[in-house]
Amino acid sequence: MTETTPAPMAESQQLAARYTAAQVLARQRRRELVRGLCKKAVCIAMVCVTLIPFYISFIYSIKYKNEITVSHLAWPQHPTLSNYVRVITENEQFLVGIKNSVLTTIPTILLLMVICSMASWVLARNETPFYNFLYTLLTMGTLIPFQCIMLPLYLNMFNAGLVSTNIGFVIARSGLQVSISILVITSFVKTVPREMEEAAVIDGCGKLQTFWRIVFPLLKPINATQLVLNTVYVWNDYNTAVVLLRDKASRTLPLAQIVYFNENTSELNLAFAFFIMAMLPILILYFCLQKYVVSGVMSGAVKG
Amino acid sequence: MPSGTGVPLLISGRRLADKSLLPAAGAVEASALEGIAVNTTETALLAKSRRRRKARIHTGNLLFLLPAMLLFGYVVLVPFVQGIPYSFTNWKSIISPEKQFNGLSNYIMMLKNSYFQNAFGHTLLFTLIYEVGTNLLGLGIALLLFRSSKFANLCRTMMFVPFTTALTSAAIVWSYVYTDVYSALFHLASPLGQSSQVVAGMAVIAIWRDMGYCMLIYIAGLKAIPDDYYEAATLDGAGVWQKFRHVTLPLLVPSFTANVTLLLAWGLRCFDYPMAVARNMEAAQTSAMFVYDYIFGFSKAGLGQAAAVILTIVLVVLTRVTTYLFRKSEVEA
Repeated sequence: MTETTPAPMAESQQLAARYTAAQVLARQRRRELVRGLCKKAVCIAMVCVTLIPFYISFIYSIKYKNEITVSHLAWPQHPTLSNYVRVITENEQFLVGIKNSVLTTIPTILLLMVICSMASWVLARNETPFYNFLYTLLTMGTLIPFQCIMLPLYLNMFNAGLVSTNIGFVIARSGLQVSISILVITSFVKTVPREMEEAAVIDGCGKLQTFWRIVFPLLKPINATQLVLNTVYVWNDYNTAVVLLRDKASRTLPLAQIVYFNENTSELNLAFAFFIMAMLPILILYFCLQKYVVSGVMSGAVKG
Repeated sequence: MPSGTGVPLLISGRRLADKSLLPAAGAVEASALEGIAVNTTETALLAKSRRRRKARIHTGNLLFLLPAMLLFGYVVLVPFVQGIPYSFTNWKSIISPEKQFNGLSNYIMMLKNSYFQNAFGHTLLFTLIYEVGTNLLGLGIALLLFRSSKFANLCRTMMFVPFTTALTSAAIVWSYVYTDVYSALFHLASPLGQSSQVVAGMAVIAIWRDMGYCMLIYIAGLKAIPDDYYEAATLDGAGVWQKFRHVTLPLLVPSFTANVTLLLAWGLRCFDYPMAVARNMEAAQTSAMFVYDYIFGFSKAGLGQAAAVILTIVLVVLTRVTTYLFRKSEVEA
């Protein structure tokens, strides 16, 4: 915080008495440089410590089983991809899990993107008591823990034949994300000027056309953020999955992973290959869209 | 519709005619409309068309809201309302339809039940450690990284990576971080294996995962503080600590509110960590696990639902209280 602020008057006068101006300047510059380097060193150390769990997972996933017990964290002498091949070819749970995760996550995030943008646009542009009430009602969901609704939700879905199905999981996960998505997107829409929409209306665009041609493209930054965050929440969800996905064939990755870990604690190399592959899609998505994620989380935050 | 928009833009031909603003090309139509205006008064006609247009806009708006409302209603709102009566019954197994109203006895039993009290205590302890740790680390890192540069942006991106992992995967990997790094370095047993430390051990995992998120919220708050404030404080002779205490902290209150309420909601719902690494440890049992076990495991649905309602009330009350307290100490930037 302080590196750019000049030293107080009294101190610099004292210094000037003893050193020439050039010496003072050089001293200050050196001090700033050292401080900057220290700061960078701290940051790098912090990032390294934060990434240790990823390092462990990666190292274990490319070692043979017997090498893990000998050389815990060292770089493997014979790196191998055979663990990955074995998980893909031999492990049915992984294939079932990844199939279900893909088939539920993609529809959920696309559905959320469209319906929450539509709803948020209407809620942001109409601030009458009626719409404010709807907004409060819809965003109230952020305060309700899943535990409180899981029993009735399970029963309703069971009666509708939606338990242990992909479509049921898509419905449940989208419904649970609606509140937070609308909260974030609505506050974003309020920062977008109305002029474009008004011009479109003058040109004779209907509501749907105005939304689809003008508003939706303008929401691209926040939808990119929501795309990543919703993928993180849905792909990684365990709580909803453990309640609603009751049979083996419908398990998503986190469920499959827990079962797999409990059954195969002896083959760590396979377990970690499983872990890496389960998180790889999200990591790729995150790094592709990281600038939207960082700025999106920050823009949503200022409003609380 | 907020005032001033839409109304002048959607001027219909009829209204133009009434105000006789129509150019010569539309004169024929205008005269035809004047014929109608002979029968009804000008204002009534205006009101009628405005009402009709308003109704059309209203229907359009509701159609846009409908899909989100339907999903939210089916998944959250209806089950929430349905669930509350269950908590006043002696319902046991969810397979049997048999349940009888038994008043408040579930709630009284829950509040006396030592398992429930313990689970609640673990949840609160977890949330406390998680709140303090995540906020301190998040703020500390934010102070280091809030000035944008290529290096700082790269660090931010990396610090956020843990947030993309599944809570269950994070817990499982950390159980090996504890045994293979922590134990090897400090010659201490893994906290996940000991009753006295397991909650703290899980809180550390949660802190590791969520501090990046917290950091971004603090960075946003720090960036919103104008540089003039620091310059003014420097001119007044304030040191680093004084500037932090009297300029940064008061202006960061909105970020504190956002972080504390968010982490409160996440902390009190803690379920995945103990399910993944401490399923059979009583000392790691949280309220959310308790609810799950009572409803789906032990066939005591009525009691479990009562516990869930208590959890919800605590969550709502704590969130409201913190928001209220922080709002009171907020200052204008």
